[in-house]
Amino acid sequence: MGTGLGDGVVGVFVGLLGLGGLALGLGARDGEMFVFGFSLAAFSALFVRGLIRQRALLTGRVAEEAAAKTETAAHV
Amino acid sequence: MSKYRVQDGALVDGGPLTYNDDVVRKFTIAAVIWAIVAFSVGVYIATELCWPSFNLGLPWTNFGRLRPVHTSAAIFAFGGSTLIGTAFYVVQRTCRARLWGPPALANFVFWGYQFFIVMAALSYVMGFSKSREYAEPEWHLDIWLTIIWVTFAVIYVGTLVKRREPHIYVANWFYLAFILTIAVLHVVNNLTLPVSWFGSKSYSLFSGVQDALVQWWYGHNAVGFFLTAGFLGMMYYFIPKAANRPIYSYRLSIVHFWSLIFIYIWAGPHHLLWTALPDWTQTLGMVFSIMLWMPSWGGMINGLMTLSGAWDKLRTDPGLRFSVTAVGFYGMATFEGPVMSIRNVNALSHYTDWGIGHVHSGSLGWVAFISFGAIYYLVPKLWNRDGLYSVRLASWHYWIATLGIVVYIVAMWVAGITEGLMWRAYDSHGFLQYSFIESVVAVHPFMVMRLIGGLLFLTGGLLMAYNLARTIAGTKPLIPGLAAAWPVLGAAPAGE
Repeated sequence: MGTGLGDGVVGVFVGLLGLGGLALGLGARDGEMFVFGFSLAAFSALFVRGLIRQRALLTGRVAEEAAAKTETAAHV
Repeated sequence: MSKYRVQDGALVDGGPLTYNDDVVRKFTIAAVIWAIVAFSVGVYIATELCWPSFNLGLPWTNFGRLRPVHTSAAIFAFGGSTLIGTAFYVVQRTCRARLWGPPALANFVFWGYQFFIVMAALSYVMGFSKSREYAEPEWHLDIWLTIIWVTFAVIYVGTLVKRREPHIYVANWFYLAFILTIAVLHVVNNLTLPVSWFGSKSYSLFSGVQDALVQWWYGHNAVGFFLTAGFLGMMYYFIPKAANRPIYSYRLSIVHFWSLIFIYIWAGPHHLLWTALPDWTQTLGMVFSIMLWMPSWGGMINGLMTLSGAWDKLRTDPGLRFSVTAVGFYGMATFEGPVMSIRNVNALSHYTDWGIGHVHSGSLGWVAFISFGAIYYLVPKLWNRDGLYSVRLASWHYWIATLGIVVYIVAMWVAGITEGLMWRAYDSHGFLQYSFIESVVAVHPFMVMRLIGGLLFLTGGLLMAYNLARTIAGTKPLIPGLAAAWPVLGAAPAGE
């Protein structure tokens, strides 16, 4: 499985868990569930954001490498 | 090195033999941070036991809430991070395979596990607990941990399946037993019925003495498979590597593995001697506990004898010194445990501080020391350093921590036997000779002594954290001669 697809699957899974956390936090009947639910939502958001950021960095790096390769080929 | 490479215009995971060490580095740093947290909270609650006013009159800082923070931080946060980190390191090297799955999956295990630890600690401080020892988190946290653990197991087993070595090295057997058994124990012991999907309170599916038996089947095997089997996996990899010697007897390691996992699982009832548990079940637990002595010492002998011809390395390698001393403490704790499981001994020792001393000779002497040995070995390798920032500091850590353990466990032994004897003393009229508070007053000096032992251990931990931080930063010692040459050992026969 390519890294991008695999990371995407993990991202979607964690995102769904975060939605579950949001639901728990919104319906919480005690302080513990309130803290857990919203913390899980925040955790999920941060995790997915990290994945997207990493992906963007890698895509940029690949584009740079490809551009450098094209430039080298043109010089040759 | 980048975790990614371009293949056919797409990003794909790693190269043929590039390991995912990023997640191992994260777990290593987390382990050191949690070690300091665990030792600090331990020292604080030891202070509360000496001078109760340190409770500060606040619900969040009372002993009952902070005690599980200490035990969870030590066992699950420090121990767990070390175990998962080294499991990921060892399985890749011994299988010559990169971790199974995309990097995000291993990262999910890391961040998800840290999230569990923080949430669990927060819930204890807020006063939420199932009141089951070492299984305090409420149902929603249990489900979260199950998700993380299953992901961890999938990555580990997936890596074993795609291995390029025909043989599965024995360390992996121990790690696998740890992963699978903890999964089963965790799920069964935490079968509860929540009061509401939106409330944290839940009730156990079991009741009465069955509930107690399930809890101690879990509790004792958490010791057996989390704190023993997993760390034995560490022992079977890192001692041969650091000593640059093969295991003394590979056959003995296999016998050790099968006998240990077969016998350990039956020993739980020894936590319930002299209770409403049926007598035959208590006897069963006692007998299996005594039988457990043999495989434990078989493993200890195997670990120690691996040093044959390499004992001189103990002078120059404090990491190895930690590992070998850990094996010694393992031998001591696994002798003391069976002795304490004998009914008549248990009548004296149970509910006293002897139990606390026993637990800490295992957790500080065995678990923490074998972890320190592995961490001192790993950090220079993971961060590509020539050696530690300071070998002398590591050596100071060793001696201060060893002294701390000795002070701690001697204090607890004496306190425990004092309590046991005072609680069972009768006068000539058949009345109890001492009130409970008299036993509390009698052991106060030993509580202070225990605090000193804990402070010493914490000091050693802080030295380690500083030394490792400087090693990672790549700084050189300011004082010439502070750092001795500590070679990062190269390829060794252990499973590679």
